[in-house]
Amino acid sequence: MVGDVMIGRARASLGLSGAPVKVSQITVAYQPGVPTLQDLSLSVAAGESVALLGPSGCGKTTLLRAIAGLERPAGGEILIGDTPVYRHGAAASKKWVGPESRNVGMVFQDGGLFPHLTVAQNISFGVVGRFRRRNSVDHEVVNELLRLVDLEGYGHRLPGTLSGGQQQRVALARALAPRPQVLLLDEPFSALDTTLRAQVRSEVAHILREIGVTVIFVTHDQDEAFVLGDRVAVMEHGRITQIGTPDQLYRSPRNLAVGAFVGEANILGARIVDGLAETVLGPIPILAPIDGDRADILVRPEALHMHAGEGAVIEYVEYYGHDTRYDLRLPDGTIVIVRDAHDVPRSVGETVGVKFVGSPVMAWPAD
Amino acid sequence: MDGYVATDRVLTATASGPPNSRRVGDDQNLVSRVWIAAIGGVFSLPPLFVLFRAALLGGESLDEVTGALGPLWRTIQLGALVAITTAVLGSVMAWLVVRTDLPGRRIWHTLLSLPIVLPSFIGAAAYAAALAPNGVLYGPLDLVGLAPQGRLAGMGAAWFVLTVFTFPYVFLPVAARLSVLPASLEESARMLGRNGPQAFREAVLPQLRPAIRSGALIVFLYTISDYGAVQLLRFDTLTRKIFSARLADRAAFYVLATMLVILTFVAVAAQRRRVPGTMETPENPGVAQPPIKLSGWRRIAALAVVAATLTAALLAPVASLVVWAWRGVADGRVDYAELIGPLVNTATIGLITAAVVVTVLVPLALSTVRRSDGLAGAASIAVTAGYAAPGVVIALALSFWVRSVPGFFWLYLSFPLLLAGYAIQFGALALGSAEDAVRAVPRSVRESARLLEPDRNRRIALIHFPLMRPGLVSGGGLVLLSVVKELPITLLLAPLGFNTMATRIWAKFEEGYAADAGVFALVLLLVSGVLTWLLVLRAMDS
Repeated sequence: MVGDVMIGRARASLGLSGAPVKVSQITVAYQPGVPTLQDLSLSVAAGESVALLGPSGCGKTTLLRAIAGLERPAGGEILIGDTPVYRHGAAASKKWVGPESRNVGMVFQDGGLFPHLTVAQNISFGVVGRFRRRNSVDHEVVNELLRLVDLEGYGHRLPGTLSGGQQQRVALARALAPRPQVLLLDEPFSALDTTLRAQVRSEVAHILREIGVTVIFVTHDQDEAFVLGDRVAVMEHGRITQIGTPDQLYRSPRNLAVGAFVGEANILGARIVDGLAETVLGPIPILAPIDGDRADILVRPEALHMHAGEGAVIEYVEYYGHDTRYDLRLPDGTIVIVRDAHDVPRSVGETVGVKFVGSPVMAWPAD
Repeated sequence: MDGYVATDRVLTATASGPPNSRRVGDDQNLVSRVWIAAIGGVFSLPPLFVLFRAALLGGESLDEVTGALGPLWRTIQLGALVAITTAVLGSVMAWLVVRTDLPGRRIWHTLLSLPIVLPSFIGAAAYAAALAPNGVLYGPLDLVGLAPQGRLAGMGAAWFVLTVFTFPYVFLPVAARLSVLPASLEESARMLGRNGPQAFREAVLPQLRPAIRSGALIVFLYTISDYGAVQLLRFDTLTRKIFSARLADRAAFYVLATMLVILTFVAVAAQRRRVPGTMETPENPGVAQPPIKLSGWRRIAALAVVAATLTAALLAPVASLVVWAWRGVADGRVDYAELIGPLVNTATIGLITAAVVVTVLVPLALSTVRRSDGLAGAASIAVTAGYAAPGVVIALALSFWVRSVPGFFWLYLSFPLLLAGYAIQFGALALGSAEDAVRAVPRSVRESARLLEPDRNRRIALIHFPLMRPGLVSGGGLVLLSVVKELPITLLLAPLGFNTMATRIWAKFEEGYAADAGVFALVLLLVSGVLTWLLVLRAMDS
């Protein structure tokens, strides 16, 4: 694992610094059936880490590729730092900077390592200037970066001999070698298996937090977005539905779809009476008043508490160790999910009481 | 196309695999070991016989060597020229149809793989006929004052003809490789500061090199062992000299054949060097790469190049055959009854050969896949070597062998010997498919079958055979397709009076009956075109 002292040194000698990224009203049009971005805008501060989260086909990868310069939009403007790298317009104001000149690094889903070059040659590939000879190696940079990604001594290996997690870390080192101001990651962990994934993710999270470069990454995994992103942009049908900190998204999603996408959710019908939602679970406080008297509210499973009593029957149990998930059937037939961390697990068929214990919840007018 | 099915075998065959632990059902009986040893013996007979007899020549061979140096040099020159040109042409065509937005690129892709159906001797003959006065190309060339003088002949002609009919051996594997390479390879290079052409050269080309090299190797082997085209185009390579030395001069034959065998061996050995850092074909190629946009004049130039290639490789020769055939039909000169005999002969010998070769090689396939040992490895190398060996050498070695070893003379010009010649030349095609067939019944399936059905014969009938059938059929099909187009072995080993389509076409061209030859050739092309489509193109789609 990478120690803090080491990361500090790496940052100093790599001389990385982030630049803001500003995407204004870009449109990417494709052939039918391929995601399209429509008037999409996104602002990322220097050094910030933003996750693009959404189901497949929502356009998140297209947005990332447009920022990289691998996709040419059909309208709008993209700035990296103060420099426009793409601008739609008449001949005079038109602007296009190719991917090779944007000073942007990218880590691909499959790593995209060059199989015929060693790890050291891969990392040196983008280091231009001092070394123009083909496949030459800049040992100083390579060693520094291999230390950063905890792969010292692997410089002479070919990518095919590395594990998936090691390949992704080499890909990260390679992307950082030319000192980019912005680092883009396209589902960087999706090719790894579950156990490895969590480990590589937290290693990369540590590295990214410390090196100060601006990070934009694509994922369809909510955990990944929350762990790595300072802010998360939820995308759907080529638009950003909501952007905010993980906590904002989790507690106050803009709509039911976002709420359900960023975590387990119970969606309950309610009547609004005196600013409280009257539900099958009793009155539940809501965050903001709404129009009308019928509402759908979003209750997280950990905001429900199970106790000895009457009112619900346990239908199904999933035991996870750190907590247990129960599906409870309420008298009116509604099924609610409860996550309970304290008790000895209960069994299917037991009768229990259930009550709301969390902070005020989001409510939306029901149709 | 049938060629590169076998290349992998040429390149990856090994003498011995790791020893497998013996599990129930893996026991190998003596009969199959003897059988495999016999296969190895028969398949390595021609080259060993040639080398043995050449060694016996002693001092006598020195004179012959001097005389053979010219043909050897011409063979190497022609092989190298054709291999290099096809490598460039095939790769450029592959890049254009796979990576650019060339209009109609799917259709071009299919059309550009078709020239492989034309045997080189038919292609050469079609060109010779096209450039003769009255030929389809003579008129247009005459109009612009470029009317060809004399007949089409020489190295330039052989180079051109062999290039246009063999470039698909490079085009197909390179196109296949290009279309599965992940987009991230080229895009990573772009993100790391390379422009388009640099990214292609530094990140993509190294991944194509193995496909280009193995394609070019097949072309090289095809060229140095080709007899039909060089004979028609009067270019003295080793094969042509060997063929003409067959009656009079055995010493010359052994020396020339030895040279050709060594040249083949060197080419294969040079290619077999392991290339490190080549990516396994990814199972999921990820994001489809956006095709490169060809703008303005580039688009027109690209279309012109592809159309010109296709014209040279397919349109012009086929048009030439059609025109001659049409003239013959219109004049009523063509005797259709004459078609029946060769057609029946070709189909019969092709089907019998296919069935025999597949049956003979299944035990070897079982052995190489399930319990590879030194014996099976050696036998499989012998089978693979047979595919690389030139047909004239196989045929003449077999024919001299039966005539010089007491007790075997009755095989001379017999069906069994013809069949053996075909088997040695095309066995590798059947072996590769038979191995696929064996792999189609994995251990888990065999073991489940064994637990559920105690009767061995019923297991074979109900489980093993149905799973293996597609592989066996396609192996047989590849052999059939190759036999249908085969020329030199048939010319040298067929019993007297036994004509196939290929030998009839050959005779008609040599005798100058272009119209008859055109009709016969078109029928042959039709048959082998349908076979190719059924066996190879359709199989590649699925």
